[in-house]
Amino acid sequence: MGTLIAIILAAVLTNNFITVKTYGICPFLGVSKNTKSALGMGVAVTIVMAIAVAVTYPVYNYLMKIPSISWWNFQFLEIIVFIFIIASLVQMLEAIIRKLSPSLYNAMGIYLPLITTNCAVLGVCELVIGDMSGIIGSGFVMNFGWAVLYALFSGIGFTLVMLIMSGLREKLNCCKVSKSLAGFPISMITASFICMAFMVFTYIV
Amino acid sequence: MNLLVSLGTVNADTWKTVGIVAGILGALALLIVSLILIVGKVFKVDMDEKVTHILENLAGANCGGCGCSGCAGFASKLASGEGDLSACHVTSPEKKAEIAAILGIELKDEERTVAVVKCNGGLANAPEAFVYMGNPTCAGNASMLGGNKVCKFGCLGCGDCKNVCPESAIKISDKLSEVDPDRCISCGSCINACPKKIIERIPASAPVYCACSSKCRGKDVMNACKVGCIGCGMCAKKCPQGAITMVDNLPVFDYSKCTGCKTCVAACPRHIIVDRDAKAEEQSKGDKDEKEAKTA
Repeated sequence: MGTLIAIILAAVLTNNFITVKTYGICPFLGVSKNTKSALGMGVAVTIVMAIAVAVTYPVYNYLMKIPSISWWNFQFLEIIVFIFIIASLVQMLEAIIRKLSPSLYNAMGIYLPLITTNCAVLGVCELVIGDMSGIIGSGFVMNFGWAVLYALFSGIGFTLVMLIMSGLREKLNCCKVSKSLAGFPISMITASFICMAFMVFTYIV
Repeated sequence: MNLLVSLGTVNADTWKTVGIVAGILGALALLIVSLILIVGKVFKVDMDEKVTHILENLAGANCGGCGCSGCAGFASKLASGEGDLSACHVTSPEKKAEIAAILGIELKDEERTVAVVKCNGGLANAPEAFVYMGNPTCAGNASMLGGNKVCKFGCLGCGDCKNVCPESAIKISDKLSEVDPDRCISCGSCINACPKKIIERIPASAPVYCACSSKCRGKDVMNACKVGCIGCGMCAKKCPQGAITMVDNLPVFDYSKCTGCKTCVAACPRHIIVDRDAKAEEQSKGDKDEKEAKTA
């Protein structure tokens, strides 16, 4: 139970992908103009993160290194293999969603192809195969279940920050911003304030 | 040479590893390609060719004036037979005819429309109830007690419509916005932006329109604005064609019946039914005067 709470807090708050790790900045600044599209992007990223980890974690641990065959150790190929897997996974997911649920496809269809090259997804795959004891606590042993759970809550943390940012940007539309700061600059300032706010959580886990 | 040094001693084992890595990547690529192909085959969606053809003929402005998320959404709606082609005001009539041919429907004869602001209450006519000092947008103004004018249906004159107009067809004078009918492309951006919903489309050839949106009773309108419609119904009574009906204390024009006799303009006791020809003339004269004044 303690591990579960630690994983949730670490993934959503202390190691939030956008504000602390600064991954996935492109959707954070690009798709946060209104709350509806930010939510669509967040949900799409959450689903892809969980599925990507569910595929790449066993591939890395059980296929790329087989202890009984001494020379079969290709874990140094992780990045290129992960990129292959994630990109094709998103393609397949898009086709499947399109067939099974057209309404879901219409809601997040345009965001799925954007995720193909999203660094946050690759980031979470790389993170869970590495040493996580610094993030969650010493003595933590990673397994498949924890990995997928961590990815899922990373996605939820991502969605949370996207929603905060889009809400603030919608409010900003009603405000008079001085000409030199209007548009993108004020968004960057907003983003920096959100990141500073998340520093409060640094030592809670 | 540096690259070779960084590789360390190159021996048979190195080449073995290189070969295996190449093999793994090749096999992975093949596996993924075949997986994608299989998934694509199994989960194939029958794309309607109609949709792509329609999309090619639409204007591609993605303005959202039709109520869909973009031109692609409108195209699929049209193909399924739900949408109405006249909802798009940007696509040219020739292209629309082509789309109608694809859909197998007959194109209704429709004429160009323009947006008009149905209010004439500038500062001189419609007094302000209080001084608004918040963000200078209509949306902000309207969120505070429904705006700072006494009339709760009038133009706030903060220029939200002017800011969204892609053709710069709207100008604000005396806290009242006005659409230039020659520049207006009837995209509907201003109609969506106006928090008071007082901008409407009328046919470009319409001779008259009522420049008031107040649904209040006559007495309340009298107190709020010098040029508000009191809903007396004189225009409806006097119209020889019966083209005017009174709805919610406001005249509603049926432009298919209107012959442009302008009886209503003369009949209105408050002089708020606008004669568009006279207005255009006045406008061009005003522009000329301005130019002369500038040259002088």
